[in-house]
Amino acid sequence: MTKWLERRLSPAQSPTALALTSGGGILAAFIVSGLLFLPFGGNPLTAYGFLFSEAFGSSRGFGLSLVQATPLILIALATVVIWRAGLGYIGFEGCFLVGAAAASWIALSGTPQGLPWKLPVEVYWPVVLIVTFIAGALWAGWVGALRVRFGGNDVLISLMANYVAIFLVQYLVSGPMRAPGDLPQTPRLPHETWLPLVISGIKTHWGIAIAAIATLFTCWLMRSTPAGYEIALAGLNPKAARYGGVDVARRQMSAVYLGGGFAALAGLCAVLGVQHRLMDGLSGGVGFIGLVIALLARLNPLMVIPTAILYGGLEVGGSAMQRQTGLPTSVVLILQSLVVLLILAGDILRYYRLRLPVRKATPDTLVEKES
Amino acid sequence: MSAMAHLDTAFFIGWLAAAVRLAGPVLLAALGEIYAERAGVLNIGLEGTILLGALSSYLVAVVSGSTLLGFVAGGVGGLMVGILLAALYLRAHASQIVVGIVFNILAAGLASWIYALAMGGNGTTTVPMFAAYPIPLLSSIPGVGPVLFTQPWPLYLTLMLVFVAHYVLFHTRFGLSLRAVGENPRAAHAAGLNVLKLRTWAVLFSCVGAGLAGGYLVSAQIGLFRDNIVSGQGFIALAIVIFGRWSPLKALLAAFIFGAADALQLSLQVFESSLPPQVLLALPYLLTILAMSGVVGRTIQPRALTQPYRKE
Repeated sequence: MTKWLERRLSPAQSPTALALTSGGGILAAFIVSGLLFLPFGGNPLTAYGFLFSEAFGSSRGFGLSLVQATPLILIALATVVIWRAGLGYIGFEGCFLVGAAAASWIALSGTPQGLPWKLPVEVYWPVVLIVTFIAGALWAGWVGALRVRFGGNDVLISLMANYVAIFLVQYLVSGPMRAPGDLPQTPRLPHETWLPLVISGIKTHWGIAIAAIATLFTCWLMRSTPAGYEIALAGLNPKAARYGGVDVARRQMSAVYLGGGFAALAGLCAVLGVQHRLMDGLSGGVGFIGLVIALLARLNPLMVIPTAILYGGLEVGGSAMQRQTGLPTSVVLILQSLVVLLILAGDILRYYRLRLPVRKATPDTLVEKES
Repeated sequence: MSAMAHLDTAFFIGWLAAAVRLAGPVLLAALGEIYAERAGVLNIGLEGTILLGALSSYLVAVVSGSTLLGFVAGGVGGLMVGILLAALYLRAHASQIVVGIVFNILAAGLASWIYALAMGGNGTTTVPMFAAYPIPLLSSIPGVGPVLFTQPWPLYLTLMLVFVAHYVLFHTRFGLSLRAVGENPRAAHAAGLNVLKLRTWAVLFSCVGAGLAGGYLVSAQIGLFRDNIVSGQGFIALAIVIFGRWSPLKALLAAFIFGAADALQLSLQVFESSLPPQVLLALPYLLTILAMSGVVGRTIQPRALTQPYRKE
């Protein structure tokens, strides 16, 4: 390896180098994933064409892509806020599940599986949004507190906490919140508790508005408020921030609360907007895909929206493709992760210079040329 | 009365046997991960590596009909993954956490893709599994004999590797270098150690261990492949590493405790106990969180864990 990779004295940092390695990574990911259609008898170009036209070609498809994108946006925003504050929290699956459970519990108010008192219709929305947000904030908060107050390793603790949340939901749907019947799941939520559709006929629900408001709030917070500035400062250099008078622990904790709340709202959108009940296996990796989106958006809240819509669209198009053409939807999963990995791999070229083996001209070849 | 006591003993022995059985593959994966983390690399991609190891093991076993070749193929698959991960973790200066998470997603997609390609619509074929091999004499010890010494041989291999891993890590020059690199890479470099090379070895160990763990799952426990075959065992292995305080011998104990909790949960479901099984399922994770949290006596992690190293 060291023979044909030569370390650069300093990594290439120019915008051109960055754009080339990122663009090259994305292009390579699409090409490699496209080749994966071939053994299944699919033409990569037709397959991609089908995938994108299903996801973005019709208002119905685009609506579905927005539905898929909604939780991804919220989780990506959560990642942006928490990672900008300098933490490595990755427990968004857990926050998502806890939020979904809290939202279902409120939505089922007045039934044996939910909140014991029936909520009047007028206060339902504020209550369900606030309770879900707080549930997520607390769930992320205890992990954040272990890191910020006690110095625990938040990456590993949050990873473990995900499983605690999975088993918590499993317990809820097979115990206290279980509907009569064979399957471990809650009863179907009453119709009036669902997130209404934005336009009838298209599946997009008002969760997209929650995501949009959250995005605007995050932009405003990070760009125009002292609190956002201090969060970013605490993340960039905690020592300098502390010296500059920033209460680093407090700022990091508020970022964790906000992020946990956002990720919980993603869970709310999934149960109140799509599934309409709580069940085991609800998250299906959405917490990690959301995190990947935040990274691709380079932790920029505005870039989160297009990236999330692209990733949501890939999922919609991928499952339509599997239904109609039999090409495997796993290619979408590969594409989604390969984009990031190849951008990262492209960075090798920013640190190392490629030295292709050049054949040195020997006296023999020179003689041949002359003659 | 005596019948009751007999039942209790039977229950106890069955429980222990299940605990040992469940502990095997995760312990094997954890042993490799201890090396990676001791050298300062947190390999979260463990889950995906086990999955790809299980897949390669299954496919080779189907094609060759040999269980042994299948088991070995798990390790080879892990090695190939290791080369990729080592390049990303160490050469690309990428965040280890990011690479690990994204790799797990990639592995899930890749395993499902390769499986669909290789098996087509053929449904699932089971592959032959290792039979339990009773060790002569030892297996006839009443009580523990049938539990510990009547197991498929990958378990014996794993138990042997625990001691080998412990010896190498704490009693050889290589182990000392490895730990130095994970504690303070700069000082290790100044002392003349090749940080990147040592860390590469550590990542390869970790991935081969995880790949073999996948092979273990297929060739000694399940005998077929499904997308959800690993279902979080990679993360359990990570938990074992932490709960076992980055030491192979303590990891052996941790793996057994976690296996026991899992096995107890399975038996309690049979008896329709009032204790929800999820409490026992979540126990390993809760114990690990407690051990890491710093609230009651922190476990000290290798100091340079997750810190990328750049040569000056």
